[in-house]
Amino acid sequence: MSSKHFRIALAGNANVGKSVIFNQLTGLHQHIGNWPGKTVEKAEGTLHFKGYTIDIIDLPGIYSLSTFSIEELVSREYIATEKPDLVINVVDASLLERNLFFTLQLLELETPLLIAVNQVDMAKKKGIIVDYEQAEKILGVPVVPTVAVSGKGIYRMLEKAIEVIEKTTKMEPLKPRYGQEIEERIEDLVILLSKIQLRYPARWVAIKLLEDDKEVEKEVLEVNPEIVATAEQFRNELEQLHGHSCPTVVSCERYHVAGKLASEIQAITEPLTPPLRERLHKVTTHRIFGFPIMLATVLAVFVAIFSFGDFTSALLGDLLFGLKPAFDTVFGTGTIGELIWGGVIEGIIGGLTVALPYILPFYFILYLFEDSGYLSRVAFLMDNLMHKMGLHGKAFIPVMLSFGCNVPGCLGCRIMETTRERLLTAFVVTLVPCAATSVIILGLVGAHVGIEWALALYIINLIIIFALGRIAFKALPGEPTELIMEMSDYRMPHIKTVAKQTWFRLREFIVMAFPLIIAGSFVIKLVEVANLLEPITDIISPVTVVWLGLPAVTGIALIFGVLRKELTLIMLATLFGTANFAQVMTPVQMIVFTLVAMLYIPCVATIGALVKEFGWKKALLITVFEIAFALLVGGIAFRLLTI
Amino acid sequence: MNIPLTALKNGETGVITSTDLNSEHIGMCGHKARKRHRGRHFMVARFSKRLSDLGLTPGTKVTVVKSAPFNGPLEVSVRGSRLAIGRGMASRILVDVER
Repeated sequence: MSSKHFRIALAGNANVGKSVIFNQLTGLHQHIGNWPGKTVEKAEGTLHFKGYTIDIIDLPGIYSLSTFSIEELVSREYIATEKPDLVINVVDASLLERNLFFTLQLLELETPLLIAVNQVDMAKKKGIIVDYEQAEKILGVPVVPTVAVSGKGIYRMLEKAIEVIEKTTKMEPLKPRYGQEIEERIEDLVILLSKIQLRYPARWVAIKLLEDDKEVEKEVLEVNPEIVATAEQFRNELEQLHGHSCPTVVSCERYHVAGKLASEIQAITEPLTPPLRERLHKVTTHRIFGFPIMLATVLAVFVAIFSFGDFTSALLGDLLFGLKPAFDTVFGTGTIGELIWGGVIEGIIGGLTVALPYILPFYFILYLFEDSGYLSRVAFLMDNLMHKMGLHGKAFIPVMLSFGCNVPGCLGCRIMETTRERLLTAFVVTLVPCAATSVIILGLVGAHVGIEWALALYIINLIIIFALGRIAFKALPGEPTELIMEMSDYRMPHIKTVAKQTWFRLREFIVMAFPLIIAGSFVIKLVEVANLLEPITDIISPVTVVWLGLPAVTGIALIFGVLRKELTLIMLATLFGTANFAQVMTPVQMIVFTLVAMLYIPCVATIGALVKEFGWKKALLITVFEIAFALLVGGIAFRLLTI
Repeated sequence: MNIPLTALKNGETGVITSTDLNSEHIGMCGHKARKRHRGRHFMVARFSKRLSDLGLTPGTKVTVVKSAPFNGPLEVSVRGSRLAIGRGMASRILVDVER
C-alpha cells in the first residue's frame, strides 16, 4: 500500500550520533552509495514499523544549510526538492545552542520536522538537563529524548514520527523571527518573491538572499534579476547599520534566537567531576605528548595490521592456491584452464588476500578511531605539516590510509570540504607508497642494496609528495581552504555502527576493485597465452632499456604492476627465474626500477577509485602524469647514479 | 583592545569584534593582484560564513584553550563547543580583550 510508505530524512550536526540512530533504525537493510554526480556519501535504509514501510535517508552531518561544503548543498537540495515526509533533526543535548542554530534553518525551510535530542545521558553528566515539554511548546514540533547507543527513545521517536506524518497531532512549528531591521527587509523580499515560482519557500529564499547565497541568487537571477538587485541593496544597508557583512549579521541574529531558545529549554547545573574524556583530550593534543602518542598509535596500528595481514594473507593464499589441483581435474591444464585459473581465479585470490587480511582490519580500526573522536585530534596535530603540501589537517587521514592502500585513501578524500581540496588530496594520496609499494622497496632495494637506500627512497618519495603537492596547490584554480572543524568529546565507539561502516566500506572496495583486478588479470593472461609478452617487451624496450637502463624483462614486470604493485616483484622473480635479484640486476638498476614502480601509476584499483570520485578525465590525467613523471625521475636517477 | 585571536594567550578569553577576516588590503593593489584578491574575497566571505555558522559571531565570547605545536591551529572554546581553527584564519578574527 503506497499510503503506508514514507520517507524520513535524518539531519543534524556532525558527531551527534546520527549514524548510530540510522543504524538502530535500519539494521542491515542499508544501501550506501553516492549522491548522483557528487562525491558525497548517501546512506539509505528501509525500516518496517507497525505495518509502515519507511525509507530512511541519512543526510551528511552539517552545521548549516549554506553552501560552504558540498554536503550542505546536497542536504538542502534534498530537503527542499525531494520533500521527504519528515525530517528528523538529531540534536546533541549538550550543545543545544549550536544545534538549534541548525534546527532554525530547518524550520525556515518549512519542512515537517521532529527533533530527537540525543545523548541526553552525556548531557546529564555535564550538568545539562533539557525540558522536552517546554521545548516542544516553544518550537512547535515534537521533541523526543534519545540515547542512540543504547536504543533508548528510538521507539518513541518512530511513534511520534508517524503521528507527525499522518497529522494526528496538530503542530504549529515556530517561525524564527529576526531583529526588526532584518525582518522588514525579509518581508519586502517575500512580497517580491511571492510573485515568482521557486522550488523553495519564499521566506527562506529571502533570508538566503540576505545571506548572499550564490546558489539561490543564481536561481532567482534567472527569473527576476530585480529581486537580486534589491537584495543587494538591502545587504548594503544592513552592512552599514551593523558594521559587519550581511551574512554574518544574519548568522549572528540566528544564533541570538538559538541562544535564547536554548536558555529557555535547558537547565544547567554543576557538571560531575572532570571526566576521563577531558583528560584524554588534553593529553592527546598536548604540546609535548600529543605527537609521540599519535606516532605510537599510528605505528602500532600499522604493525598490528601488517603482522596480522601477513599471517592471514599467507594462510588464505595457501588455502586458496591449494584448490589448484582440484581445479585442474575439472578444467584440465589446457589453454582454457590456464586462462580461467591464471586470469580469473588468481585475480580473485589476489584481491581476497588483500581485502580480507589488510583492508578489513584497516577499516575497522579507522572507524573505531573516527567514532571515538581521535581522528579529529590527529588532524589538529598534523595541520601544520599538511599545510606544507598545500592541504590542511584533515587531509592527513586519507594520506595515512594510503600508506596501507591507495584505494581507501582516494575514497577517504571525501572528508575534505571542497572539490578542489578533494582532488588535491587524491593526487597526493596516489603518490604515497602503499603497502604493496613498500613490499617492492623493502624486498628489492632494502634486501639487496641496503636498508639505507630503501630509507632514502622513502625520503625521496616524501620530498616528491611535498613538492608536487605544493605545485598542484599553486596550479589548481580555486580557493584554498583552511582547517576548521569541531573536536567533539571523546566517546566509547559504538561497535555495531563501526562494524557496519567497516562492512559497507569493504563491500565498496570489493565491488569497485575486484572487477578491475580480474579483468586486468584476464587481459594480461590473454597476452601471455597469445605469446605477445615478448613483442610488447621489445616495443617498450627503448624506454626500459635505453632511457631507464633496466633489463628488458622489467617492462613486463612493470605492466603486471598495474594490477597490483607487489606483482612487479613476483613477476620479476618469475622472469629472472630467481628471487636473488642481486645476481641479475645491478644496485643502480634495482634503485631505478623501484623508483619507477613507486611512482609510475596508481594501480588499476586506485584508478578505478579515482574514476569513481572524480570522473574519467581527471583520473586519466593523474595516471598519465604519474607515468610520465615516474619515467622522468627514473631516467634522471639512472643518469645521476651512473655518473 | 582589538587584537587577532592568535594574539591571545592560552586560557585567555576575548569577545569577537569581527570575523570578516579583514579584507583591507583589497583595492590597494594593481590589476593582477586585485584579480587574485577577488578570488580571495570570495573565499574570505565563505570562511567568514563558516565561522559564524559554527558560532563564532561578533559579540561572542571565545576562549583560546591552546595552540597545536609548531605553529599549528588553535583550539578554541566557543558556545560550549571545542573547535580547531587554522592559524591563518584565526589571525584574521579580531577580538576585544581586557588586559
